[in-house]
Amino acid sequence: MRRPRRLLAFAVASAILAISVPVALAATTVITISGATASFPLVELLTHAYSKLHHNKIKFSVSQGGASVGIADVAAGKVNIGDSSRGPASTDPPGLDFYPIAKYFVCVVTNKSNPISNLTQAQVQQIFEGKVRSWSQVSGSSLTSTIDVDSRTSVAGVLTTFQNTLLAGGKVASPPATQYASEGQLQTAVEKDPNAIGFLSDYFALNKNINAVAYNGIGCNVANTVNETYPGWSFFYEVTKGAQVGNDVGHFINWIQTSKAAKKLIQTNWIPLTITAPTAG
Amino acid sequence: MASANPLAAPQLSPSRRRRRGRRAPVRSWRARDQALFVIAWTAGAGLCVCAAALVIFFAVQGIQYLHPDLLVTRPSVAATQAMSGGILDPILGTVLLAAIGLLIAAPLGVVSAIWVVEYGRPRWLSRIVESAVEIIAGTPDIVLAIFGLALFELGVFSPFSLAEPGGAFGRSFLNAGIIVSAVALPSVYTATRNGLIATPRQLRESSYALGKTRIATIRRVVLPAVRRDVATGATLGLGRIIGDTAIVVLLLGATLRNQPASNTPFIGLLRGTGSTLTSYVFNNSPAGDGNAPDKAYAAAAVLLLLVVLLNWGVGRIGRIGGPLIHEPSRRLGA
Amino acid sequence: MFERLRRPWSDRRAELVLGAAACLLAVAIAAMIVFIVRGAWPTFQHEGLSWLGSGGNPDAQLGAMENTTSHPPASAFLIHAWPLIYGTVLSAGLAVVLGLAISVATAIFIVEFAPSPVRRVMSPIIRLLAAVPSVLYGLVGILVLVPFTANHIVTQGEKKSVAYVVQLSGGGLAVAVVLLTLMITPIMTALIADALQSVPRPWREGAIALGLNPLRATLAVSVRAIRPAIIAAAGLAAARAVGEAIVISMVSGGVSFSPNPADGTIFWFEPFQSLASEIVRSAEAINAPALHSTLYAFAALLLFSSFVLSLAAYLVKLPLRRYQVSD
Repeated sequence: MRRPRRLLAFAVASAILAISVPVALAATTVITISGATASFPLVELLTHAYSKLHHNKIKFSVSQGGASVGIADVAAGKVNIGDSSRGPASTDPPGLDFYPIAKYFVCVVTNKSNPISNLTQAQVQQIFEGKVRSWSQVSGSSLTSTIDVDSRTSVAGVLTTFQNTLLAGGKVASPPATQYASEGQLQTAVEKDPNAIGFLSDYFALNKNINAVAYNGIGCNVANTVNETYPGWSFFYEVTKGAQVGNDVGHFINWIQTSKAAKKLIQTNWIPLTITAPTAG
Repeated sequence: MASANPLAAPQLSPSRRRRRGRRAPVRSWRARDQALFVIAWTAGAGLCVCAAALVIFFAVQGIQYLHPDLLVTRPSVAATQAMSGGILDPILGTVLLAAIGLLIAAPLGVVSAIWVVEYGRPRWLSRIVESAVEIIAGTPDIVLAIFGLALFELGVFSPFSLAEPGGAFGRSFLNAGIIVSAVALPSVYTATRNGLIATPRQLRESSYALGKTRIATIRRVVLPAVRRDVATGATLGLGRIIGDTAIVVLLLGATLRNQPASNTPFIGLLRGTGSTLTSYVFNNSPAGDGNAPDKAYAAAAVLLLLVVLLNWGVGRIGRIGGPLIHEPSRRLGA
Repeated sequence: MFERLRRPWSDRRAELVLGAAACLLAVAIAAMIVFIVRGAWPTFQHEGLSWLGSGGNPDAQLGAMENTTSHPPASAFLIHAWPLIYGTVLSAGLAVVLGLAISVATAIFIVEFAPSPVRRVMSPIIRLLAAVPSVLYGLVGILVLVPFTANHIVTQGEKKSVAYVVQLSGGGLAVAVVLLTLMITPIMTALIADALQSVPRPWREGAIALGLNPLRATLAVSVRAIRPAIIAAAGLAAARAVGEAIVISMVSGGVSFSPNPADGTIFWFEPFQSLASEIVRSAEAINAPALHSTLYAFAALLLFSSFVLSLAAYLVKLPLRRYQVSD
């Protein structure tokens, strides 16, 4: 190409870029979310619906990692929203707002070939705290093998909920329990191992491939959680750094908490709330 | 067992000896040697069997689970965690990552090899560069990934990924591509360097005799001569990039679909997060969040197919890609 | 403007530009070392070198770090990574020893006993095995080998005997070592076979002339002569095995346990965790500052170990220089 023509081409190209880049950048917002694996299915549904509602002008980037990871990420400013499956704890960084969006519950689960119908609080505590190690010592089970206890890693909000409610403040002993990094992994582990026992949030537990165990005679289901006879429940929270009022993040959280569409989505597998004020963390 | 004198050579007529070539008369050996013979055969056969088993296993699983429509459907953002949908995004992600990685590694590797072989002054500097390439080759990819995480936390690199209130997100195709190029670099460098060393001196000298400068000689004479080696090195490097998992898992953001960071047509995709075949397989296996081993098998079959094709390509292209194990030289006294 | 660039370059300019590009590599390595050490510095500052020792459960310690805020107290950096280091050394060491034996045997097979068509086919087979991505080995491990081990090899009695200490879930030392060996053997075999063939023929022929059978001649002469190559191959394989993160994270059982050789056969089924696999496992939480510096400390240790392995291989080869067959 001759020199003037090349210069012209260069000038045109850079003009196009110079104009298009800010226009394009202004067009979409991307909200980043990270955190709990238990609330991931729900958050995926909600973000997908919200994006569609806003004609894809607002996009979401959702990753997982565990409730504490989400909280740490949002405190460090790495993401806009943290998903949490547990309430604020004293060890959390200051300055965070926890917005509850739905109620969920935790079930003790066993393999399909070990269909225990009920466990008492004492039994659950003994098994998960490592005091009872053989199925032969558990009434209600016909197995005689060693119990394979499956638990979650310490960043999991579901673990906190489980320990606070169903273990009544006890702690899962690990070892010997194996720790899994996500609800999905725990579910697979229990589904595959006939000697396994674990705990899962309701979305993953109420599944035809796995056996959900009643607790102290109370079945682990939505009805018993709504009338609060089943103790193993908590809230899913959206965590932000500081109050989010009037911006995209705030609008999104507000939509989750107030709109009918969001409520319908939550009701598919979880329990919706009435409007609640944020709990300062 | 042969109690014959072990020093005696087997008594064969000359013609029979020629025909039998290098066949070893094992039956006349001592027990220990026979045992080692069996061990050697077992090892060799075992390796072949393992390779065959691996390929057949993934082929079978692939045929079972890989439907053609999976290749052109995007992973769907469905309510179920069992990731339904296809593997189009991981395939595109692999291609994009490989392109970025090669685009950085190939020029850099070739240029460095040229400098070291053709110029190489001061000597201490060229030794440092050689050592640097060796160090890169020997570094585990997880350490490279950690370095990438540290590097892209710096503010100057924030345009390379999603902008966040607390600094850049740090994970994007661009970031992963830059780090993954380090995995391919040693292959390109070594192949180019060996090719350059192997080109005869006369080639260069005749070019100098005609009055060309050194750089012109490199551009017009030497480089075309090592084209095959560069291609081989690049293909080997490409194979390593496609197979890399640790860097992708740490630096690509692990979102199911390839999500551009903004609407700008290409740059948005580079700055965005996504998945490749390797991270998809990892995430869908029981070690990741997914619960979909059948999808993992499908992606694994595609991955293995790609690797096999690349390997075959390397074998076809070049000098270095020739038989890894040579026929023994028949020259006398060599 | 572009005209000036298209005019023939002078050698001087070319040398400078090319040299600058080449130096970029050296700068990149230096940057890598600096960044990793800088990231790891807080752990060294608060823990000194005691974090390499044992004491407590690394899983619990890392878990506690995941909740730290932006200015964690010194106690938040508590980590005793010995079980991880032990797991790394154990798995890599066993894999290298096993792999070396298999590689030498296979190389001898290729050079000595393989009929021509088989030898021609071995080359692509070995190259293919060397090129298979690690995640595929991991997939085979976690979907086939681990359930097989859990259901058919580990007995209930064995599980019961360690029930109060650790759970035997199938994944563990045995599966990891098998997969690691499979990963590193092809490269070693190729290097050793190549080196065997580059031993000058007269050396071997002399041994055969003295009456040794071919196998014995190979063992006595060629294998001894290529000891530098064997060591180089072992060093390369060790570096690869130490740094392997994905396969170990998929099949090692996920618990930072130190397998105890005194347990007999159970030793092979006990879970463990290596430095690299722990990095992969905890990488999502890397924004927590205490965990951040701990993972960087692990990476620094891995980097240091790959240096040491290269250096060790080089030093061990030095006295063998006089054989001068290959290096």
